[in-house]
Amino acid sequence: MAKAEVLSRLYYDVDVLVALTWREVLKWVRRRAVLLVSISTPVFWIVLFGKSFNITSILSLPAEGIEPGLAEAIRRVLAARVVELFGTIDYFTYVATGMLVVFTLFQSMFGAVGVVFERRIGYLTRLLASPAPRSVIFLSKVLGTLFRVTVLSALLVAVAYLFGLEVKEGLTVSDVILAWLVLMVLGMGLSSLFTGIAFNVNHQEVLFALANLINLPLMFSSSALFPREQMPEWLQVVARVNPLTYAADLERYLIIGRPVEDPLAYWAYLLAVSITLTIIGYILSLRGMREV
Amino acid sequence: MKPVRAEGLTKVYGEFTAVDGVSLEIGRGEVYSLLGPNGAGKTTTIKMLSTLAKPTRGDAFIEGYSVVRESREVRRVIGLAPQDLTADDEMTGWDNVYLQARLYGLSPWDARRRAREVLEMMDLYQVAHRKVATYSGGMRKRLEIAMSLVHEPTVLFLDEPTLGLDVQSRRKLWGYIQGFKRSGMTILLTTHYMEEADFLSDRVGIMHKGRIVAEGTPEELKSMVKGETAYIEPLDPLNLEEVKKALEARGFKVWLVGPRVAVEMDSSGEDLPEVMKAIEPFKLKSVTVSKPTLEEVFVRLTGQKLDESEEEPLDSFAFRRIVRGVRR
Ligand SMILES: Nc1ncnc2c1ncn2[C@@H]1O[C@H](COP(=O)(O)OP(=O)(O)OP(=O)(O)O)[C@@H](O)[C@H]1O
Ligand SMILES: [Mg+2]
Repeated sequence: MAKAEVLSRLYYDVDVLVALTWREVLKWVRRRAVLLVSISTPVFWIVLFGKSFNITSILSLPAEGIEPGLAEAIRRVLAARVVELFGTIDYFTYVATGMLVVFTLFQSMFGAVGVVFERRIGYLTRLLASPAPRSVIFLSKVLGTLFRVTVLSALLVAVAYLFGLEVKEGLTVSDVILAWLVLMVLGMGLSSLFTGIAFNVNHQEVLFALANLINLPLMFSSSALFPREQMPEWLQVVARVNPLTYAADLERYLIIGRPVEDPLAYWAYLLAVSITLTIIGYILSLRGMREV
Repeated sequence: MKPVRAEGLTKVYGEFTAVDGVSLEIGRGEVYSLLGPNGAGKTTTIKMLSTLAKPTRGDAFIEGYSVVRESREVRRVIGLAPQDLTADDEMTGWDNVYLQARLYGLSPWDARRRAREVLEMMDLYQVAHRKVATYSGGMRKRLEIAMSLVHEPTVLFLDEPTLGLDVQSRRKLWGYIQGFKRSGMTILLTTHYMEEADFLSDRVGIMHKGRIVAEGTPEELKSMVKGETAYIEPLDPLNLEEVKKALEARGFKVWLVGPRVAVEMDSSGEDLPEVMKAIEPFKLKSVTVSKPTLEEVFVRLTGQKLDESEEEPLDSFAFRRIVRGVRR
C-alpha cells in the first residue's frame, strides 16, 4: 500500500517533469527568432573569434633576410612552444573547444531569464497553484537548459569541424560522451545557480547585470579562451579555482588530446563545485517559490 | 463536511494587515462572492485559500485538507483563475490548456481529450490554435477559466473573473459560471461589481479593510437597508454640515458619504416631501434617491462607495496585463 503510493507519486513527479521540460523545449523551438539567433551564435563566434586569431598564420610569415635554415629552426621552436601552450598547433582548435564551456555558461544565464519572465506574465502563479512539486519545477528549468546546451554544443562542434577543428587521433565514442557529460555537469551547477537567483528577482535586468558582473570575468579568468600559462600570476590564481577552467581543460583533454595533470582530480573538482552550486540554487529556488 | 471552511485567516505584510481574521464556510454547490473595493483583501484571501500565500494566523480547509499542512492535496482539488492573467501568451491556447492538464498528471491522451472538452465548453476551440497574444480580453479571461477546469476541480476560485470586460462579455461569463454551479461545483468568486455578486451568488460576504463586515444572501443583505436612501450634494461643500443638521433636526438618520449627505427614508415615499422641505434653503448640486442595493449595504457598513477605492499603486506590468484585455 505505502509502497504503491510512493511509486505512483514518483510516477506522477516524473510525468510532470517530462511535461514541463517538454514545455521548455517547445518554447525554445517555437520562438523562431530566438532559436535562429541562438543557433547562429556558435557559427558566428567560431568564424569571428577562432579564425581571426590564427596563430599558425603568424608562424608562416615570410622571414625575409634570415637564412632559410635559421628561419625554419625559429619556426619549429615557435611551433613547439605553441603546441606546448595550446595543446595544438591551431588556436582555432583551442578556442573552439573552450567555446563549448563559454556557451554552457551563457545558456545557463539565458535559461534563467525565462523564470523571471514567467513571474512577470503570471504563469508562475499558475504553476505554483498546481500540485507540481517545487523540486520538479526547478528541475525542469535546469533540464531545459541542459537540452539547449546539448543541441548548441553539438552544432558548435559540427561547425567547428567543418572549419578545421582537429580532433585527437583515435577519438572514441566514450570520449565524446564524457565530453558531453562535462558540459552537463557544469551546466547543471551554473543553471541551478542562475535559476535560483532568477526565482528571487523581479526584473530581468538584474540577471543581465549579474551576467556582466559574473559571466564575463568568469569567462576571461578561465582557460576557456587563453591558456592559463599565459596569464599574469594573479589571474592564474583565479583560473585555478574557476570551474570553467576545469571544464575547458577536460573538454580539450577528451576531444583534442591536450594533456591535463590528473583528469580524475579535474572531474572531482568540477563535480564538487557543480553539486554545491546545485544545492545553493535549489535552496534559493525553494525560497523564491514560497509565495507569489 | 463543507468543501470550504476558513478559520480566522490572517495575513500580515510587514506592519500592514491585509486580511484580518476571515472566517467563512461555503456549502457544496454554493456560489459565494467576496464583494469589496480595491485593497479590501479579496485577492489575499484567495491566495491563502489556494496555498499561494501562507496565512500569518489561522487556517482553512478545502475538502477537508488544511491549506497550511496539506497544500499539495489542496492544490489537487481546487481550480484557480487568478485576478491577473496567467496564460503564456507566446503559446497557443491549446498548448496552455494541454500543458495545464499534464501538470495535473493526466496522460497525454487524456490531456488531449480534456483540453478539447474545456476549450469547447468555454467556446475557445475554434481559436485554440492561435497564439494567446492574439486573443481578446474576453477570450483571455475565458482561457484562464478553461485552464483552471482541466482537472475537474470540485472547488473553483475565480478572482475578479470579469474584471475589465464590457457588459456583454461579462454577462456571457456569468452564464458559464451558472453552468459550473449547476454541475455541482463549489465556487468562491471575488468582485467589486455589486450586480455581479447579486446576480450570481447564493451568499455574499462584504469585505472591507481585511474583514468580512457582513454576510448573507443578497436578499438578507439588502433587507439590512430599510427603505431608500437619498443623497444630497450641496453646491458649496461648506454647507455639508448645515444640511446635515437641518435634516437631523427633523428626526432623520443622516450620515456623510464623501461630498454628499445621505438620508435614510421609508420606502413608502412619505418621507421625501419632508426631506425636500428640510433642504429647501440650500443651493444644491444634485439629489439622488436609490433603492436598496448591495451597494447601499456596502455604503452603510463602510461609509464608502464601492468605486471610491483605497489607493492602490498598480505595478505597471500588472496594469498592462489588465489593460491589454480591455483594449482589444
Ligand atoms: N505582497 C504584498 N506585500 C505587501 N502588501 C500587500 C501584498 N499583497 C497585497 N498587499 C496589500 O494588501 C491589501 C489587500 O490587497 P488585495 O490584493 O488582497 O486586495 P483586493 O481586495 O484583491 O483588491 P483589488 O480589488 O484591487 O484586487 C492591499 O492594500 C495591498 O496593497
Ligand atoms: Mg484582487
